[in-house]
Amino acid sequence: MANPLFTSMINLSNNFIWVISSGAAVAIAAGFLSSFVVIRRMALVSDILSHVALPGIAMALLFNIDPFLGALTFLIAASLGTWFFEKKTHIPSEAIIGVFFTAALALGVVLIPNEALVESLFGNLFLVTFSDALMIIIVSAVIFISLVLLAKKLLLSIISKDLASSVKANPDLISLLFFLIFSVVVALGIKLIGTLLMGALTILPGVTARNLSWSFKSYAVWSVVLAVVMTLCGIIFANFLNWPPGPTVILTGIILFVVSLILRKS
Amino acid sequence: MPAPSGPPRFLMTINPNKTILDVKNLTVKFGGFAALKNVSFSVKEGEVLAIIGPNGAGKTVLFRTILGLVPYEGAIKWAPGVKIGYAPQQIYADQRIPITVKEFFALKSGRKTSIFHELKAVGLKPDILNKQIGTLSRGMFQRILIAWALLDHPEVLLFDEPTAGIDVSGEDTIYNLLHRLQKERHLTLLLISHDLHIVFKYTDNVLCLAKEKMFLGKPHQTLTEKTLAELYGESAFHVHD
Repeated sequence: MANPLFTSMINLSNNFIWVISSGAAVAIAAGFLSSFVVIRRMALVSDILSHVALPGIAMALLFNIDPFLGALTFLIAASLGTWFFEKKTHIPSEAIIGVFFTAALALGVVLIPNEALVESLFGNLFLVTFSDALMIIIVSAVIFISLVLLAKKLLLSIISKDLASSVKANPDLISLLFFLIFSVVVALGIKLIGTLLMGALTILPGVTARNLSWSFKSYAVWSVVLAVVMTLCGIIFANFLNWPPGPTVILTGIILFVVSLILRKS
Repeated sequence: MPAPSGPPRFLMTINPNKTILDVKNLTVKFGGFAALKNVSFSVKEGEVLAIIGPNGAGKTVLFRTILGLVPYEGAIKWAPGVKIGYAPQQIYADQRIPITVKEFFALKSGRKTSIFHELKAVGLKPDILNKQIGTLSRGMFQRILIAWALLDHPEVLLFDEPTAGIDVSGEDTIYNLLHRLQKERHLTLLLISHDLHIVFKYTDNVLCLAKEKMFLGKPHQTLTEKTLAELYGESAFHVHD
């Protein structure tokens, strides 16, 4: 098989520790984020938003800069746009986002060279280097801590913006910070499981955890645990089965989701 | 029994000359439609003000505006540092948000004794704390919202139809409770209500909102049959003194 995704897998053992630890770090950040994404009912918004990274990656490849920075720039711009629309208009945001962001996807596909496209769509965490891993772990830690600090106010403004305002927690500002955090998490996932699938990593853990939780605390803990389990099991399965890692991680997450549905009914 | 916590407002005296809220020429527009037009009133410390009016008169919009949630023209001035408790009419109580009553309270205050105290004040037992918010009945949830508003001892309470969703015997209890709390804690209370009986019984002043008109004053002087007919249409109510 001449797929570029598999060529580096032979050297796996050398940097396996970095693959595992950066995967786990992103999973912890994305898992915690997903518990808010799901109850804020922006699962689909988050999925579409994750596609916005593509033209950013394309531009970065054209100008020979780090694709992470290109993706991050576009994601932050898109997040600010989404936040602005949500705040200023009463037009259903899905419609605007749907048109605008699929345009971004189309543009990205036109601009990105073929091999690089496959990698940016589905990622390749087996190509992660030591410096990549270090950056991913530090940024994930910053994201996780920011979410912990923001959690109470964020949760309150999801339950009711009015209640949040009554205790002087500015719901607009919180929503902006949430979108920015979301952008950084999606951008982080690009090197690991790719832009297309990063949306799934910010949805699946939360959706699955909700089937298993009664309190918010257990829900958030389950989201993080499930994100880590799906990422690590996905990496190991991909390694054994010689499958591309990004899709394997997501398929593992889907299996966990089905299991949670069965457990919920019984 | 858990001891009441927070500042001893019971010992404080109210200053009926102190203005807590001053609203001047307030206009709120949604697109070209004016939801509120030139509304002016002020609220003194310890006052109970009822806001009444037909559906769509802008009562809830008024509350949301003075809380700073809606863009407006005119002036809204709160006394410096005043602490507000707000119980909305309806909130997004999505049954699918996994959150317990205890966690919902913790979003406002971490002090357990205060939570027990306010739960008791609204007639609920502490065993409700481990229930999920989505599983509560409307009446129960309304009481939780009132307890939530009371938490951390606010000086001003905003209540948007606190009895919507509560049965009649429950309704009476809620108003008795509000009345008692208002007296005990020297609260300033702004109340949206549909129930004129309650307005006459418990409030100092009443603000009537209708499309283009606004009436403000003591309930017995303001709520004449003539004003009510203007507000709600002819012979919608018959008032007994």
